[in-house]
Amino acid sequence: MMRNDPIKHVFIWPAVLVVLAISIFPLIYSLTTSFLSYRLIPPIPPRVVWLGNYATLLQEPRFWNAIFTTTLIAFIAVGLQYAIGFGVALALNARVPGERLFRVALLLPMLLAPVAVALVARMMFNPTMGPLNQFLSKFGLVNLPFLTNGHWALACIIAVEVWQWTPFVILMMLAGLQTLPEDVYEAAELENASAWQQFWGITFPMLLPISAAIVFIRLIESYKIMDTVFVMTGGGPGVDTETLTLFAYQEGFKKFNLGYTSALSFLFLIAITIIGVTYLALLRPHLEKRR
Amino acid sequence: MLRRTFLMLTTSLAMACAASQANAACSPDYTGVTLTVASQTGPYIASALKLGADEWAKKTCGKVNVVEFPWSELYPKIATSLTASDATFDLVSFAPAWLPDFVPYLSEMPKEMQSGKDWDDIEPAYRERLMVWEGKIYSQSMDGDVHTYTYRTDLFSDPKEKDAFKAKYGYDLAPPKTWKQYLDIAEFFQRPDKGLWGTAEAFRRGGQQFWFFFSHAAAYANNPNYPGAMFFDPETMDAQINNPGWVKGLEEYIRASKLGPPNALNFSFGEVNAAVAGGQVAESIGWGDTGVIAADPKQSKISGKVGSAMLPGSDEIWNAKTKKWDKFPSVLPGPFMAFGGWQIAVPKAGKNQQAAWDFVKTLTSPEVSGQAAITGGSGVNPYRKSHTANLQLWSKIFSPEEAKEYLGAQSDSINAKNVALDMRLPGYFSYTEVVEIELGKALAGQTTPQAALDAMAKEWNRLTDEFGRAKQLAAYRAAMGLPPKN
Repeated sequence: MMRNDPIKHVFIWPAVLVVLAISIFPLIYSLTTSFLSYRLIPPIPPRVVWLGNYATLLQEPRFWNAIFTTTLIAFIAVGLQYAIGFGVALALNARVPGERLFRVALLLPMLLAPVAVALVARMMFNPTMGPLNQFLSKFGLVNLPFLTNGHWALACIIAVEVWQWTPFVILMMLAGLQTLPEDVYEAAELENASAWQQFWGITFPMLLPISAAIVFIRLIESYKIMDTVFVMTGGGPGVDTETLTLFAYQEGFKKFNLGYTSALSFLFLIAITIIGVTYLALLRPHLEKRR
Repeated sequence: MLRRTFLMLTTSLAMACAASQANAACSPDYTGVTLTVASQTGPYIASALKLGADEWAKKTCGKVNVVEFPWSELYPKIATSLTASDATFDLVSFAPAWLPDFVPYLSEMPKEMQSGKDWDDIEPAYRERLMVWEGKIYSQSMDGDVHTYTYRTDLFSDPKEKDAFKAKYGYDLAPPKTWKQYLDIAEFFQRPDKGLWGTAEAFRRGGQQFWFFFSHAAAYANNPNYPGAMFFDPETMDAQINNPGWVKGLEEYIRASKLGPPNALNFSFGEVNAAVAGGQVAESIGWGDTGVIAADPKQSKISGKVGSAMLPGSDEIWNAKTKKWDKFPSVLPGPFMAFGGWQIAVPKAGKNQQAAWDFVKTLTSPEVSGQAAITGGSGVNPYRKSHTANLQLWSKIFSPEEAKEYLGAQSDSINAKNVALDMRLPGYFSYTEVVEIELGKALAGQTTPQAALDAMAKEWNRLTDEFGRAKQLAAYRAAMGLPPKN
């Protein structure tokens, strides 16, 4: 069969159309719904409000609070995950004694379901029965309001995120470290370059592309955080730890406010796209230097 | 050949006889029928449903599968299933407040179930008010819920405590008549160094918190001179939640949060019961479960020392019409039918509706429900006249004095002239969500009580306009037992 044989269209187009129907239709449906005032409970007939839902959302302090909270969790958690993960990966790459055991043990949190991790964390941070406060009490220190104070609750969520997802960074960075050529380091050693100089001059720049990808993936994933927050705090106290996805869940599945929730989903999509594009644009000059 | 035919005939006859005997034991016969019931996570209510399921299985040979969801997830699970008109659940158990949202998807109770001895045995507050929506019966109460007061009789009868209390506050230590007295008592027994705290209430978002707040506010906002105006003005449907009565209720609720164990802000009703049964607190408010659990020696450290009373009240109640405080000659108790007791209903989309209603009949029969009511942790509180009248039933868990106080508090509260009904409105979850959010802020000290309540009122009014003020007003008046507005 020739490459330009028209028969290829018979095979390709049905598949393309099916894929388009499956992936594009829900998006179009959701976009259409976002222009409606549409509630399932109490049942209210759909009414076109055009950009009304978007305008209401943009004036809604709770929406901006959710954006701020999600961004705070995402940036702090991913920053810490990267710094700790990179450090541990370097240590493991240096073939420390018991490296294999560490490698398996450090990967365990990533293998657990976020809901299970959040449940364990909720018990750990329990104000009276949790081991953390019991430990503090033994030393005569006051019990800390881990999940009942907004700032503490946010810190706890970030801590859990870091604990669970740092192994992912370790795994990826370790894979990257193991692909670095030995001869570059040998040459650097001949030039008497210190370990610090080797890190900043060789390791970090050579791992920049993989670092950029890891941070990008984690950032996008962190913006979608829901299960951990849902189980640990339910978004509280008040709305202090309410993230965008949790806000969307509350509107969509508790208040059945479908139009509003669709608009919220699209604003979420726009926010993620802006963050992703900005991030890649900022990194592009550095990445291009590496080519 | 003849012998073989005779043998086969005899065997067939014997089998047929055996089968008919087995079927005779199933009345009505629902062999092969499996009902699925949506419930909140046990033991509360789910265990009562399982108790009913066992009885129904014995009687009808049918099976009941109880599917449990956490409290905060129950509404979305049921609502999603009902609005999709799928037959996931043959029965749904839920809060009366959700009934207006679910009514379009529920089947009406068969007429034959709406009369007779068992029907008349249901307390009128449930039978004539909470089970009714727009003149029709779509659900059956399977639990009675009214907030009452629980206290430790060993502390309250201790002469040293009594003397010290009188010396400090100038009146006798006794179950409080007013919320001020309630807070005085909590303050008096606040002794963290001895592992004793004043009171326990639910303060956690998603942990039944707002009903406890409503109980405080009912004393100041449910005015018999202007009935049905606790949540909204029944003439205009304007939100009343930020009036001075509610502000006073919220101030006292916040004060109570500071007179509880150190983790009180994280308490849901389950933790309240644990604190009471663990002897950690001197007093508490909540549903009837508290008294039953506290009396059970297997679950409680204060068994035999449990007292009960009606909720405290006030002699000053805000009048939403005159916008003034009405002064009463004596303190009016402020019972509040918080939640209003679990109900069970049969979705229209269900494939086994007849069997499902038959299960409801067994589950809520005086015998089965009476057993559930005296079982600690079943979540079932008295809702039938026979539940509170049968002292012998309660002697299994309470001492005579405890039983008298407990049943008296339950019965007096339900039948009180000024009993406040819980809010029932279409879009209920939207209304209560903002309450939870703002309560969280007020409890954390991030906002003042007045500002929190103003935010709630603003959102309530916005929601009412969005859902249709006239429609919501009609629904609210029906829920409060008021005649339709012309």
